[in-house]
Amino acid sequence: MQFRFKLLALTSALALSVAAFAADPIKIGVDGPFTGGSSSMGVSMRDGVRLAAEEINKSGGVLGRQIQLVERDDEAKNERGVQIAQEFVNKEKVVAAVGYINTGVALASQRFFQEAKIPVLNNVATGSVITHQFDKEPENYVFRNAAHDSIQAPMIVEEAITRRGYKKVAILADSTNYGQLGREDLERALKNKGITAVAVEKFNIKDVDMTAQLLKSKEAGAEAVLTYGIGPELAQIANGMTKLGWKVPIIGSWTLAMANFIDNAGPGGDGARMPQTFIQEPTTPKRKAFIEAFVGKFKPKNNRMDSPVSAAQGYDSIYLLAAAIKQAGSTDGPKIKAALEDLQAPVEGVVTTYNKPFTKTDHDAITANIPVFGEVKAGRVVFASADDQKSAGTVRMKDVAANDALLKK
Amino acid sequence: MQILTQLIFSGIALGMIYAVIAFGYQLTFATSDTLNFGQGNALMLGAMVGLTLVNMGLNYWLMIPLVCLFGAFQGTVVERIAVRPAIKIKSEFGWIMSTIALGIIFTNVAENVWGRDDLKFPSPLPESPLHFLGANVLPMEILVVVGALLMMLAVELFNRRSIYGKAVVATFNDRDAAKLMGINTGLVITFSYALSSMTAAFAGVLIAPLTLTGASMGAVLGLKAFAVAIIGGLTSGMGIVVGGIILGIAETTTGFYLSTGYKDVPGLVLLLIVLAIRPSGLFGKAAIKKV
Repeated sequence: MQFRFKLLALTSALALSVAAFAADPIKIGVDGPFTGGSSSMGVSMRDGVRLAAEEINKSGGVLGRQIQLVERDDEAKNERGVQIAQEFVNKEKVVAAVGYINTGVALASQRFFQEAKIPVLNNVATGSVITHQFDKEPENYVFRNAAHDSIQAPMIVEEAITRRGYKKVAILADSTNYGQLGREDLERALKNKGITAVAVEKFNIKDVDMTAQLLKSKEAGAEAVLTYGIGPELAQIANGMTKLGWKVPIIGSWTLAMANFIDNAGPGGDGARMPQTFIQEPTTPKRKAFIEAFVGKFKPKNNRMDSPVSAAQGYDSIYLLAAAIKQAGSTDGPKIKAALEDLQAPVEGVVTTYNKPFTKTDHDAITANIPVFGEVKAGRVVFASADDQKSAGTVRMKDVAANDALLKK
Repeated sequence: MQILTQLIFSGIALGMIYAVIAFGYQLTFATSDTLNFGQGNALMLGAMVGLTLVNMGLNYWLMIPLVCLFGAFQGTVVERIAVRPAIKIKSEFGWIMSTIALGIIFTNVAENVWGRDDLKFPSPLPESPLHFLGANVLPMEILVVVGALLMMLAVELFNRRSIYGKAVVATFNDRDAAKLMGINTGLVITFSYALSSMTAAFAGVLIAPLTLTGASMGAVLGLKAFAVAIIGGLTSGMGIVVGGIILGIAETTTGFYLSTGYKDVPGLVLLLIVLAIRPSGLFGKAAIKKV
C-alpha cells in the first residue's frame, strides 16, 4: 500500500515537472536597493520592471513562456550585491539580470554574470566605467540603458558654465564609488572648459551636518554648487544652505530628482536642476499609457513617481530584454547577448525608441542628446527649459555623434 | 572669525546631538555596568513614533510626553529581555550581544512599519536662520542644545534630590551594599534602562527636524554618541556634554580647515588617545577593578 502510494506520488511529481518544463518560465533576476537611502530609485525601478513583465506576460510572454522575476534587495551594499549575483547565477539560474542602482554594487557584482555568460542590463547605475569593466575581454555581457556619468557630467558643466555663465563652481560629492567617480567626471568636464572648481568637498552617507563643506564653497566664492550624491544627503546640503543663508543654484546629477531629496529639502530644494531621461509628463501616447498604468497600479504618494527616471528605465529594460530573447529564439546567454548587440526591430520604450541601441563595442543605449534638464518646482520635477517642454513630444533617438559633440564643446 | 564662530556653533549643535544620545549610555552604565547598544535604535523608534503622532495631527509639544512614555516602555522591554538574564547569570558580556540583537530587531520592525525611506520631520520652529555674532543658527539647533541641557539637568536633579534618585546613586556606588540596605536594585536597573531609552526617544524627536527621520538614522548617530560617552567618561554627565561638544567642533573645524574627507578622523583619534591615556574618560572616575 505504502509502496503504491510512493509510486503514485513519484509519477505525479514526474508528470508535474514535465508539465512545468513545457511552460518553464523565463527567470530574470532583478537586483536593486529596496531599502535605505537609494530605495526611492530601487523601488521605482522594480515597479517599472514589474509593470513591463506583467504586460508582456498578459500578451502571451516571450517564446510562449512567461517571465518570472526573481527580486532581491541589495540594500545598496556591495557585499550583498555579490551574494545576490552568485545566487542568481548558481541557484536561481536566471536567464538575464536587470537592475543595479548603485555604481559600486554593479562594479562588485557584474563579474559573476560575465563569467557565467549571462547578460546583465544596468537600468539605473550611471558610473561611466560600468559598461567598460570587461573591455579587455573578448565578450562583454554588461549593457546599460541609463545616462552614464560621462554624458551627465558634461551636461551639468554645460548648464552651469555655458548656459548660465558661472565662472566659479564648487563640487560636493559623496564618498561612495558613485560620488567619487562622478566627481572625476565633473572635474574632467570642467577642465575641458578650462575651469577648475574653486572647492571640491566630500561628505559621507548619513552625514547630518554640511556646514564645513558649504562654508568652504561659500568662502571660495562659488556661484553654483555641483553635486554628486543621493537624495537624503543632497537634502542636507540644501538644508545647510538655508541655514547659512547662502542661496546659490544647485546643479547636479540626476539623483536630485529623487523623492527623498525633494521632500526633505522642501523649499530649499526648489530650482535644483539635473539631467533626466524621463520626466513624468504624458508627452507621447506611450508615455501617457505608462504613467497611467504605473500610477494606477502602484499608487505613489500625490501621484508622483518616487523616481520617474528609474521607473521608466526599468520598464524599458524588460522590453529590450524580451526583444532580444525573442530575436535569439533562445534563453542562452551568449545568444541573448548577440541579439542585444544586433537588435533588428526597433523597441518602442518610454525613454526613447531603441533603434539598434547596442553594438558589439557600444553597450550604452543612452547618448547625450536624449536627456533633458529637469528642475524641481513645488515638489515635482518639471522641464527646466521651455524649449524642451515644447519639443518633448518628439522622441529623441540615440545619436552617438552627440556624445563627441558634447565633449568637444 | 565669522567662519570660526559659524563652525563652532554648528559644532556645538552637532555635539549636543551626540551628547544627548550619549547621556543614555551613561545612565545604564551607572547602575548596572551595562550599556544599551541599541541606544541609536531607541532614538530612531522615538523619532518614528513622534513623527507618526505629529502626522496624526498632534501638536509637537504635546507629542513629546507621549514619546517619552513610549521610550520608557521600550527601555523596560530591553532591560527585561536582553539585560536582566545576562546580569542574573553573571555573564560578563552577554548583554552586549543581546542589546545589539534587539537593536537590529527594532530596526527591522521599524522598516516594516514605517518603510525604509528617510522622511522629513516637520519643524515646530521657523526654519529660517537667526543671526547671532555674525553666524547663522537655526532656531531648532538652539532648541536641541537647550532641550538637551534641560533634560540632563532634570535627570541630575532627580538623582540628587529625590529618594528614588538616591536609590539610583546608591546602586551605582555599590550594588551589593545597596541591596543589603533594602534597595530593590533590580527595579533600579530596570528604571535606569527605562530612563535611558526615554532620554533617547526624547533625543530622537528633538533632533529629528534637523536630521532626517528614517529606520537607519540611529546607526551612525549611536556610534558617534558611543565615542562621545567614552571620551567624556561613562560615569560623568558633565563629561558627556563636554565630550559631545569636543567631538562636534572637532568634526566641523577639521572639515573646514583640513579636508572634509578627513572630518571623522580627529574624533576617532581623540577616542584612541583618551583610551590610551585616561581609559575612564576625560571626566570619568577611575575605578580599580579587583580581579
